[in-house]
Amino acid sequence: MTSVTGHTSARLRWAPWAVFALLAAFPLVAPLLGLDFYVGFVRRGMVFAMAAASLNFILGFGGLAALGHAGFLGVGAYALVALADAGVRSAWLLWPAAMLAAAIASAIIGLVVLRTRGVYFIMSTLAFAQMLYSVAVSLRAYGGDDGYNLFERPAFGLGLDSAHEPTFYWVVLGLLALVMALFDRAGRSRFGHALAGIRDNETRMRALGYPVQRLLLVAFVVAGAVAGLAGALLVSHNAFISPATMHWTQSATLLVMVVLGGIGLRWGGPLGAAVWIALEEVLKHFTEYWHLPLGLLLIAIVFVAPRGLAGLLATPRGTGAT
Amino acid sequence: MTAILFFEQMLNGLGYGLMLFLLAAGLTLVFGIMDMMNLAHGSLFMAGAYLAAQVQGRSGSFVLAVAAAVVGVALLALLLEALLVRRLYGRDHLAQVLATFGVILVADDAVKLVWGAAPMMASPPAALSGPVELLPGLLYPSYRLVILVAGVLVALGLYLLVNHTRVGMLVRAGASNRPMAEFMGVRVDRVFSGLFVLGAALAALAGALLGPLTAVQIGMGEEILIPSLVVLVIGGIGSVRGAFVAAMLVGMVDTIGRAFVPMALRSFLSPTVVSDLAPLVAGLATYALMAGVLAFKPAGLFPARG
Amino acid sequence: MSHFRVAGLVKRFGALTATDGVSLEVARGEIHALIGPNGAGKSTLVHLMSGLLRPDAGRIELDGVDLTPLPMEARTRAGLSRCFQITSIFPRATVRDNLLLAVQACSGSSLRLFADRGRETRLHDAAQALAERVGLQSVTARIAGTLPHGAQRQLDVALALAARPKLLLLDEPLAGMGAEDSETMTALIATLKADMAVLLIEHDMKAVFALADRVSVLVYGRVLVSGTVDQIRADARVQAVYLGTETA
Repeated sequence: MTSVTGHTSARLRWAPWAVFALLAAFPLVAPLLGLDFYVGFVRRGMVFAMAAASLNFILGFGGLAALGHAGFLGVGAYALVALADAGVRSAWLLWPAAMLAAAIASAIIGLVVLRTRGVYFIMSTLAFAQMLYSVAVSLRAYGGDDGYNLFERPAFGLGLDSAHEPTFYWVVLGLLALVMALFDRAGRSRFGHALAGIRDNETRMRALGYPVQRLLLVAFVVAGAVAGLAGALLVSHNAFISPATMHWTQSATLLVMVVLGGIGLRWGGPLGAAVWIALEEVLKHFTEYWHLPLGLLLIAIVFVAPRGLAGLLATPRGTGAT
Repeated sequence: MTAILFFEQMLNGLGYGLMLFLLAAGLTLVFGIMDMMNLAHGSLFMAGAYLAAQVQGRSGSFVLAVAAAVVGVALLALLLEALLVRRLYGRDHLAQVLATFGVILVADDAVKLVWGAAPMMASPPAALSGPVELLPGLLYPSYRLVILVAGVLVALGLYLLVNHTRVGMLVRAGASNRPMAEFMGVRVDRVFSGLFVLGAALAALAGALLGPLTAVQIGMGEEILIPSLVVLVIGGIGSVRGAFVAAMLVGMVDTIGRAFVPMALRSFLSPTVVSDLAPLVAGLATYALMAGVLAFKPAGLFPARG
Repeated sequence: MSHFRVAGLVKRFGALTATDGVSLEVARGEIHALIGPNGAGKSTLVHLMSGLLRPDAGRIELDGVDLTPLPMEARTRAGLSRCFQITSIFPRATVRDNLLLAVQACSGSSLRLFADRGRETRLHDAAQALAERVGLQSVTARIAGTLPHGAQRQLDVALALAARPKLLLLDEPLAGMGAEDSETMTALIATLKADMAVLLIEHDMKAVFALADRVSVLVYGRVLVSGTVDQIRADARVQAVYLGTETA
């Protein structure tokens, strides 16, 4: 529904394309500017953009405030680690497997948590994500609390060298673009409209005959699967995984990213992720107590910009036609 | 497995459950009456632990430490409520989650500024460092016994407060129907502040008592928050009785998961398998309980609002 | 012949028995009005029939199909639609989007994630037809929440009509309406007779007497009496119940 996504003014519609071009060019330009280090940094930002976009799908469209999304990042990551450890090399096997593992985890958890709504939903997603965290901590085979190194990246085939940093960067960029395009289509599909309807008036949707529980579960699983992919990419980026990636505070951070960017707005996830990660990085340069300004900023956002940054850019709702 | 070991573990589970109750009771009241989701509750627990450790370190008196922790955090909570929390009543839960998460971030770094990043050591008072013989052959640490007693006393106190005082009646009325309570002239804002401070005091007490047993460190609030929320979800929002029952259940299930199931597994599985499986089971036990409860009662065991 | 039947419905809330053994029938093409003083349990009955609440006892049947164990969404697919006493639409969406959502529910699966719904001309045609049916064709591009009260209630009815119900539950459709809006709504309801059975819960006696084929009077959760409009008007017990209440 256009009234949900708002209608970015004509001036800004080229912006995503421009950003994509800039991102694609960055690894080529960076060495010339002495910014080599930041290629990895931007890559990490893109992975979190993907994760945040998947959370925005259920939060913005479905209206489900899921506070346990990082759990599915972790499931995807550990699935990749387990399979890579067992000898699977190809990215084309590893990534779908990571997504499948995350999808299964979100299906099982979804069946339980989607029986609840409102605060019970928030709290039970939180609790089950922490459950996944404690499972990860107990996995001594993969380092438990200390974490696990995985230096070898999945092989892309097609003559590409996944160990080459810019190559991996472009693959991540490509996947992010694909994910955003798919979410965009989903938003305009029957499913997307139905989700938005559930968010706006669940009882009426049931009265209209929609299988609401089933639709929410599908959304939950799709979002979980994409988070799993992001988790798999994160492991390869960091060459390391630890349960800390799945701690509930990480889920809260993802939520912050989505709200910062703008809930339900098409670019809310990536925008919020980019800004938050950039802020973290900048603040870390100035002080070791960087949580403090971030925390204060968060409180400020709640009162000053509840619709997030993308909300400030979109025109008032309701001016678009179908 | 001997009966002695069984009792000892049961007492541990009871103690853990009672401490969770202290945390959950404050949460459920704030939640039930003000419909306020406060993630920073764990930070109040942490503040209590740090204050107690600090005061005990300086003065040597455990009683003074606990008192200072409770009073100090209560004052802190009063300030927090006046400055921030009361502006969150009536906001949607997502906004409350975000703002209180912001408080967690600020609190973690504030603690780091004052006390540094390294964990602080707190120890039980010398008088309580020895064991007590409860039954022939059953030696139980006297400090843990004190925690049990304190927990039971607080539970009794809360029960009396909620069920046998005017304030408690107001609380129960507010939990089940806030607009109506306001309508009937309840000084809602004073009740709110009072409840928030009471919840904070309970959390600080739990922090002060548990400090000597666990590590006093940044992030301890985030760790204890989840089990507290699990208790809240199982018990039902707004119900102190629900929080108590749920806390007892969680304490028992956690103990069973940590102590008894590995013992049972060891009888028919190899030790290596058990040592891998045991932590897994321990971690999953309480969540399985929560899932089980939610499957039949999505609003918890004793939800205050129907 | 569409036959909607409710037999022995009971619903208790703790010590309160809101619905105390209600039985009634609605034949196809009939407008059956349900009236009664406030607190009689009309809303509870509607919730029981539509599936929002589960009865403690009793049976709900449409066209021979037992609806009682079915959840709300399944009852709609079985032919029972309802509208809401407190307008329940999608206020942030356009009227067209509201209607599209209603039409989408009964024309195939919503588990389609990739096809752009904007290209489904049949859905859009159906939504347009629905708008014309209730008289909202001139405002399809407006945001539903900005419509005047009467138009919003028309939309509420339109949403229920999308599923081509066999039985339509109208829960106080004239609630909060002025004279002109009431006439429009009454005229609309009159046109529905041709296609479906209607169970009309209403306070507005003028509309009830104009529209109803049969009337049932609900008091304290029980049906006091059922009959034609004239029979009900003449019934002494009904007059006693309404003594002091204004009738048109």
